[in-house]
Amino acid sequence: MKRRSAIVLHLVMFGLLALPGFLQAQNDDQAPEVLTIATWGGSYEASQRRAYFEPFTKATGVEIETVHYDGGVKALREQLANSKTEWDVVDMVQSDASAACDEGLLENIDPDILAAAPDGTPPQEDFMEGAIHRCFVTQIVFSTVIAFDDRAFPGAKPDNVEDFFNLEAFPGKRALRKSPVGLLEWALLSLSVPREQLYDLLSTRRGLELASRQLDGIRDAIVWWTRGDEPVELLISGQAVMATGYNGRFFHARAMEGAPISVIWDGQLIGFNSWTILRDTDQANLAEDFIAFATRAENMAAQANLISYGPARKSAQRRVGLHADVGVPMRLYMPTAPSHMDTAVVRDHRWYSQTVDLREQWFREWLKR
Amino acid sequence: MDFKSIQQIVYQVSTVTVVAILVGAAASLAAIGFVDAVQYLNDRFLISPYARIQADDKSGLVAAATVLVPAIGGLVVGLLVHFLVREKRGLGPPDAILAAQTNGPAPTFKSGVASTLAALVSLGSGASVGQYGPLVYLGAMFGNLVGRLRLNLRHQRSIAIACGVAAAISTAFNAPIAGLVFAHEVILRHYSLRAFAPVTVAAATGYIIANVIFDRPALFLVNFDRVEHSYEFVFFALEGVLCAGLAWVFMVLLKFSTDMGRRYIAPAWARPAGAGLALGLVALWIPEVLGIGQETLRFATIEGAFGIGELALIIVAKLALTALCVGFGFVGGVFSPALLIGILFGAFYGLILPYVAPVPHSGLVVYAICGMMALASSVIGAPLTTILIVFELTRSYDLTIAAMVSVVFANLISYRVIGRSLFDLQLRARGFDLSLGRDKAILETHQIRDYLSTEYTAASDRETVGDIRQRLVDDRRAEAMILDRQGTLMGVIRLQEIVNASADTPAMEAAIRSFTTFDEDTSVWQSMDLLRGFLGEAVPLVSKNGRLMGVVPEEAVIRAYLEIVHDLREEENEAA
Repeated sequence: MKRRSAIVLHLVMFGLLALPGFLQAQNDDQAPEVLTIATWGGSYEASQRRAYFEPFTKATGVEIETVHYDGGVKALREQLANSKTEWDVVDMVQSDASAACDEGLLENIDPDILAAAPDGTPPQEDFMEGAIHRCFVTQIVFSTVIAFDDRAFPGAKPDNVEDFFNLEAFPGKRALRKSPVGLLEWALLSLSVPREQLYDLLSTRRGLELASRQLDGIRDAIVWWTRGDEPVELLISGQAVMATGYNGRFFHARAMEGAPISVIWDGQLIGFNSWTILRDTDQANLAEDFIAFATRAENMAAQANLISYGPARKSAQRRVGLHADVGVPMRLYMPTAPSHMDTAVVRDHRWYSQTVDLREQWFREWLKR
Repeated sequence: MDFKSIQQIVYQVSTVTVVAILVGAAASLAAIGFVDAVQYLNDRFLISPYARIQADDKSGLVAAATVLVPAIGGLVVGLLVHFLVREKRGLGPPDAILAAQTNGPAPTFKSGVASTLAALVSLGSGASVGQYGPLVYLGAMFGNLVGRLRLNLRHQRSIAIACGVAAAISTAFNAPIAGLVFAHEVILRHYSLRAFAPVTVAAATGYIIANVIFDRPALFLVNFDRVEHSYEFVFFALEGVLCAGLAWVFMVLLKFSTDMGRRYIAPAWARPAGAGLALGLVALWIPEVLGIGQETLRFATIEGAFGIGELALIIVAKLALTALCVGFGFVGGVFSPALLIGILFGAFYGLILPYVAPVPHSGLVVYAICGMMALASSVIGAPLTTILIVFELTRSYDLTIAAMVSVVFANLISYRVIGRSLFDLQLRARGFDLSLGRDKAILETHQIRDYLSTEYTAASDRETVGDIRQRLVDDRRAEAMILDRQGTLMGVIRLQEIVNASADTPAMEAAIRSFTTFDEDTSVWQSMDLLRGFLGEAVPLVSKNGRLMGVVPEEAVIRAYLEIVHDLREEENEAA
């Protein structure tokens, strides 16, 4: 009895495993299917390639092509303004995804495609609160942090946000993302505004003005970056002594490449990245298949073992261990490690998604003055 | 100690503890709910900057909300108060004080709920009033409910009210010690151990709920190292004096605006709407005047957030509009606006100080905090509470000592110029005068008619002196009340004056016609006053239409005084 059921199980499993093969075989007559994913490049994209893209291609035969995306909603609008949209899946910051959803730039995602945790916990309980949305599925917790070049400060090291604005004690160029994201928060944090009140104060003209003036103090020392891999390059090449950037990139540079870069966790700005599907794509079903695949606990944990971004579901968090190549314990480098959370600022994604235009206008004006 | 008294002690201690925890938890949860509801309404009605900026692309909408929300809110408040609150005004700390101090009837639960609702609408629609007053009343309301249960505890009502107030303040400020002291300093006005123990339990309950269960953010968080120079304490003292002056200006404005409201807007329910409209129009120009102003409070401690002129403008506007809103009948307190105006004034003082006294000083923060607490303590008459709030919120010894100096100097002046607090002024206007301590106030609330005696010698106005003299000898009294047929008191005959009069003298010829009388409303305090120079045995108590209701012997007035004062002293000195 037992043996027979085992045989049946084997047959069923074989059938399931072979199914993609059959599908692939049928598709072989035509050109192979291609799914286009807009994502952020560099070591982050490399980790996605290993954890998601290659295994997905292996399982389904669908090729994955990536295009470079640096955040924001504007790029999606431009895509949709073209007669033919090229992007299928976009890896977006949650606040952008939320704003894009309100603008109607995204397809709906059926929450039923999400797999349960390996222990059977339904996705609604397994994912972080607010992760499963009509238009997006939040996948990782990332953090924008301040890092510095160890070689530049042989004596006292900078260790908080105030030091970033203190050119006297810590002279040298500052690399900042050329976008109204994070600047405002750090400017007020350096004036010792408590993090609980950041967004309340930034909601006033006075708060924005105060932030502007604080940024004026380092204006001449700023080097702008746009691509996520630039901050590391700027620090290594000595073009900047301090830089803001994504924590995973700094981790990768330090742990994998031995770059002399240290991270200041004070005032880290926690954000979330989410998978979305661009409106009017003709591969919406395939895009959903990919998202279902990429949000499975074991795949999310595989990515977290390559780069220090925290998975957005509990069952995946429990699977995070040593780095797949260099064996570093990854949990210590996660933005959500308890010792890093004391002074962390969780980005208010509602505020962000509602103030896109206002922040951009403020930023343009500040650059001009 | 026998078994029965041990049983009694166990019953007392455990019941008091349960009462303290229940009242504390209820007041604390209600306070959290209230604060959250205000926040929710502020976001919904585009009052909070956080909501306003998110609607920034629809600038017409924000402007319309700025003008209309406070005006419509005012109308709703006016109608709520008019139809649902029996007292026809918002309830606040003065009512809590009165309920704790006297045994008189407190406002009903329905009035309390309606007043709280009106406060919620006031604050939710951005009126420039405070949230702590309604919270204090909310706490007192729960205390009053429990006070009515038959638990057989002494001074049950006043202790339960103090418990509710302590928990509400402890929750709202995240400061349990301040909550405990506030309940004693402002509400109970004594420090007996019997009250102290349960009030402490209630304050701790509030703190646990606020801090451990819900993790509420603190009112203000500041970084301050230390006072750098000893001479700065002179500046703090001077700041306190100036704040007392500002408190006086605030009280004058408040009275002025109350009078103006009565004079120019006849229906009371329409006044808050008028104030709301004025507030909204000013807010188009100075948005800082709207609501509680937590953002502005925060900016006041940041160097460079305000220019001197800008600060002066906001201080004047906030002062005037708070007086307008409170005076015109928006329901809410004065503590939060006083904190805000005080911190802005403190920042202002800190900014102009370098020009007036060009010596180094320790920066803006300490002057801002000093101003905040000095003004607020003058207005609510709670120096200890405000000093403790600084200590509990900043945990900074230096900051607390600096604030302490400002606070005591402010209170020294304001006590003499204004009186102990705005609450006492409001109570005095209602005929409950606490300025000579609570003895007088309580003696004022007791009527001497409760000590009436009907044992007196009566005589008709048609009788003769001889008849009356014989009756007095028989009754062993020295005084007779001369009444007409309807029982109206016509005069008093004293034995010593008729000893030698001829027996057939008509009674009215020998009677004294001008003598001391009490009426139905004479309080114990007044009766003691009236007794000055009194020579007779007993004072007749006459009804409004002149009929004699009985007499109050001199001994009864003394007895009344002793009994009441004895009760007070007992309450104040009781152990647990």
